[in-house]
Amino acid sequence: MITVANLTKKIGDVQALDNLSFSAENGQITGLLGPNGAGKTTCLRTLFGLLKPDSGTAMVDNIDVAIDPIGAKKQLGLFPDPFGLYERLTPREYICFFAELSGMSRKQAKEATANVIAQLKLEDISDRRCKGFSQGQRMKTALAQAIVHQPSNIILDEPTRGLDVMSTRLLRDILLQLKAQGHCVLFSSHVMQEVAALCDRVIVMANGKVVAIGSPDELCQQTGKDSLEDAFIELIGTDEGIAA
Amino acid sequence: MKMIFTMVRKELIDAARDKRSVMAGLYYAIGTPLIMCGLFMVLIGQLSSPEDLNIHIKNANNAPDLVRYLSNNGINHADDEQANKITLTISDDYAANMAKAKQAEVLLVADNSDEKLQKSINRLERQLQAYSSEMGSIRLIARGINPSITQPIKINVQDKATADSKGGMILGLAIFTMMYSVFISGMNLAIDTSAGERERNSLALLLSHPMSTRQLVLGKIIAVTCFALLGLVLILLVSKVAYPFVPWQQIGFTVNISQDFMGLMLLVGIPVALMAATLQLYVSFMAKTFKEAQSYLTMVLFVPLALSMAASYNIAPDVLQWLPVSGQQQALMDFIKGRDIPMMQLIVSSVATLIIAVALAVGLEKSLKSEKVVFGL
Amino acid sequence: MINRKFVNSTSTAQLRATGLCQSVTRVSRWVAVAAAILVANYSSAETTDTLVAEPAKTTTCYLDGLDEQFQCGKITVPENPKQVDGKQIDIHFAILPAIKNTHPDEALLAISGGPGQSAIENAAGFNRMLTKVRQQRDILLIDQRGTGQSNLLSCDDENMSVLSINDSELDTVAMTEACLASIDADVTQYGSNNAVKDFEAVRQFLGYQKLHLYGISYGSRMAQLYMRRYPEALATVTLDGVVPMQQSLVAIGSSIERGLNVLWRDCQSNSECQQHFPDLVNNYNTVDQLLATAPISQQVRDPRTNELAEFMLTRGKFTGAIRMAMYMPNIRALIPHAIHQAAQGNYQPILGIYTLTADSTDIALGMHSSVVCGEDIHRITEQMRKDAKESYIAGSMLDGLVKTCEGWPIPPEDDSFGQPIDSDIPTLLLSGELDPATPPNWGAMAQEKLTKSKHFIAPYATHGVAYQSCGNDLIAQLVDQGSLKDINGDCLQKDVRRSFYLNANTVEALPTVNTPNAIQTTAPANTAADKE
Repeated sequence: MITVANLTKKIGDVQALDNLSFSAENGQITGLLGPNGAGKTTCLRTLFGLLKPDSGTAMVDNIDVAIDPIGAKKQLGLFPDPFGLYERLTPREYICFFAELSGMSRKQAKEATANVIAQLKLEDISDRRCKGFSQGQRMKTALAQAIVHQPSNIILDEPTRGLDVMSTRLLRDILLQLKAQGHCVLFSSHVMQEVAALCDRVIVMANGKVVAIGSPDELCQQTGKDSLEDAFIELIGTDEGIAA
Repeated sequence: MKMIFTMVRKELIDAARDKRSVMAGLYYAIGTPLIMCGLFMVLIGQLSSPEDLNIHIKNANNAPDLVRYLSNNGINHADDEQANKITLTISDDYAANMAKAKQAEVLLVADNSDEKLQKSINRLERQLQAYSSEMGSIRLIARGINPSITQPIKINVQDKATADSKGGMILGLAIFTMMYSVFISGMNLAIDTSAGERERNSLALLLSHPMSTRQLVLGKIIAVTCFALLGLVLILLVSKVAYPFVPWQQIGFTVNISQDFMGLMLLVGIPVALMAATLQLYVSFMAKTFKEAQSYLTMVLFVPLALSMAASYNIAPDVLQWLPVSGQQQALMDFIKGRDIPMMQLIVSSVATLIIAVALAVGLEKSLKSEKVVFGL
Repeated sequence: MINRKFVNSTSTAQLRATGLCQSVTRVSRWVAVAAAILVANYSSAETTDTLVAEPAKTTTCYLDGLDEQFQCGKITVPENPKQVDGKQIDIHFAILPAIKNTHPDEALLAISGGPGQSAIENAAGFNRMLTKVRQQRDILLIDQRGTGQSNLLSCDDENMSVLSINDSELDTVAMTEACLASIDADVTQYGSNNAVKDFEAVRQFLGYQKLHLYGISYGSRMAQLYMRRYPEALATVTLDGVVPMQQSLVAIGSSIERGLNVLWRDCQSNSECQQHFPDLVNNYNTVDQLLATAPISQQVRDPRTNELAEFMLTRGKFTGAIRMAMYMPNIRALIPHAIHQAAQGNYQPILGIYTLTADSTDIALGMHSSVVCGEDIHRITEQMRKDAKESYIAGSMLDGLVKTCEGWPIPPEDDSFGQPIDSDIPTLLLSGELDPATPPNWGAMAQEKLTKSKHFIAPYATHGVAYQSCGNDLIAQLVDQGSLKDINGDCLQKDVRRSFYLNANTVEALPTVNTPNAIQTTAPANTAADKE
């Protein structure tokens, strides 16, 4: 479970987070929806302790990130944007490396890597170097990295960007699986359909603030619109930076 | 500790597969001694085979004894283009003046700015001088005078140099190349693992994992240090094999890369490699891109290399023997010259090196906690 | 005999350094000794012990005339090998370390002549001559017992004036006895055979598996004895200026006569020399006869100090000076002029040549006597006696040796000593055609039973071929290859002759018309010469 309370962060002259508060529950997929520049990435980075909030707290499974960043990070898996692959490593090496960094022993890491490779059907590319991988292959590798250590919370930063349909579907299936397993899944996106299709809860952000929280249906009702898209535009007051 | 080990292993695997890093670092380590040896072989070949020197002698008939004397010392008359570059003309009144103990003239015409000729010109002049002074001595004998009186002072020289130390200049150069290899070998890895890591966006991912910045920094430092030391080991091995092939003895000394020296070089190299690694990582993390890091590093590395070079050519003030890099280099040179190792200087400079390394590592750790450095904000 | 290369001498210091042998005065004084002296060399012993690097077999030292560091050491041996617990003496040695020691278990042992020269004092000469050998192997120099630092047996009398002394009036027997009385040593133990034992002991001490030998002059006798006694320790041998085992050193008298004859022949066959000194032989005989009647005493300026001094020119000093000049190719070139001048009553050139040799003191005369009186004096043949009657030089040498050995009694070596060496060790023999001490036929004699040997005669070399020619390259080749197979002496044929001095100034042909008037002219010299 991820809880964010009253986060405020100023980067340069921009108020990136402005008294931001929300929570993402276990067994739910929570979407962080907002236009470009709304503060989604800043928020996620704050969750990992990479950015220090000016005020407010970020809790991961009730561990305060500011107080015990290592402990908090142990409960997290990150699917970053961009993926940050090591081109000269194979997916197996890459996944295993991060598994170990997440605290697994080498043996455990190898087993977990093998499992996740099977789970994501990566066998055909698992021992090729990442250089030259397609976007879908990269996504799968990055995703494998994010979940290999079975973190209770999985954070995805713009996970569907640049993905083809097949990859998007696969990602969706995985997220649903994770949800079914009781993980807390939090992803940021500016893609409406994706959020609508997947999310149990949507947190709509704009200018570093939470504009609205609720299930897609609730949001539609709240704004009196038929589609989430319309609801969203209504909520943030503009359609700038939103993709359908 | 396990984290650091995992980091190091990944960095090394990654680096080993990076042809650019491997080439740049190890090419240098393997290539430099070979190139140096090749050059010295050619040089020594020119220096030490006092092949017969052919010159153009005009009016040789005016001084047959002189011509024979020169020929006996390997200086002969020839008429080809090369020989014509040095012309020795014996004056027409040579014999007449000689007979009256007037100065008999010979004329040497050559271009002394032609570096290839300089040696030959010197050699010819030396032989002419020798002939002249021998004749002067015999003239004194013919007059009942002991020729030794023309040399009032007998200069006795006791050179403290040993056979090993005579090769000191060469070895200074060799040590310089070794020091250089410590800096060069790890450089590409350092850039790749810092600026490159950020360029690939993997830095934030790394930092998102449950490891401390210190572990990350140490992992990278150790990986780069390993590469630097690998370069050092390689250059030592290649030097050990290559240098004996050069016929140093023909120019009067030996260049022996002994196992003792290799051991000491390696030992001394460890703090230097650590410092090189932290310095390179520090500078590269400051840069935003791979290219930028490369150009920064080229500028920054000039300092330790200048220190090393200054020490190897002995052109520097005494304070250099206390400074990092140059201090170690001088100690190594003293060792190879068979002198006592200046332990005090070696310790001070090595400790200074380590202090710099630690300071840079601490700085690095701080900077990686800074949002600006990590995200380039 | 001179083993120093004078051909290339480049300075007056070196010229002096060519030193011939014991001062001619002493040569005359020890007439016999002088006659037998084979090798002489200049140098002053100076071995400085510096930092002891390790408690090892050697210490760092410097040697005269060389600026680099060498390794010096000594072993202690019984003076009399049959009395192991008796008096002990130190045998000193020096190692000129190989530049690049590719054969650490080998060394070249260079053996000096004399008898009585110190090898270590001659390190500079050996070092220069053996440069190529030293590139890969140590050069080992040992002061043979009785020489240099190894319990030196000298008989020097510092109070004698070399210029004014009349050597013909000296009492050789009495002086020899006086010297013997002053020496605290069993002089019977300083012969060549004991010395070879010392050499072998040094080899074993230093741990060399094999030695290459270079023996010059009397040193070639030492090398041959080494071959006879310890053949298993030797890889190659070079004998330069060879004294065959069969030959008594006393025979040198006639070699000197041969040397003079070669000189006369050389001058005759050279048009310039022949033209300027047509009566050279007569001139020589004239002076020789004049001095035979009575020595000539003149007021001269001391050649060194320029003080007024009396110069007593005796027959012994005259012939001695000429003899010594014959060792050195460039001084040899002055002999015709010197003789010619002497015949005209100008003894300055003779004085100049004489003074070159007059103050070098590098022959250990006591050791010299111990060798000659034990190994040579009993081998005087009828032919030698006959030669002695016909030649003043040979005669005075024989006479002096006999007198010396009267005062220096040494038990003679038995007949086996004089047997030729029977060996298959690769052996290079070098002889100089112009050698006034060990003529080429001596080399041939030594070769008799050397089954793997080559003998080369250098046509323009005197005594010490390796110093005056490419002979040292041949040695380097032999040492390197360990065999004589590929060695030929072609390079020795190179014409390295020095022209004779035609007056006190020049070796080049004089202008055809040479009027000795003193026209001073401001015109360029060549114009003036042309006018004349």
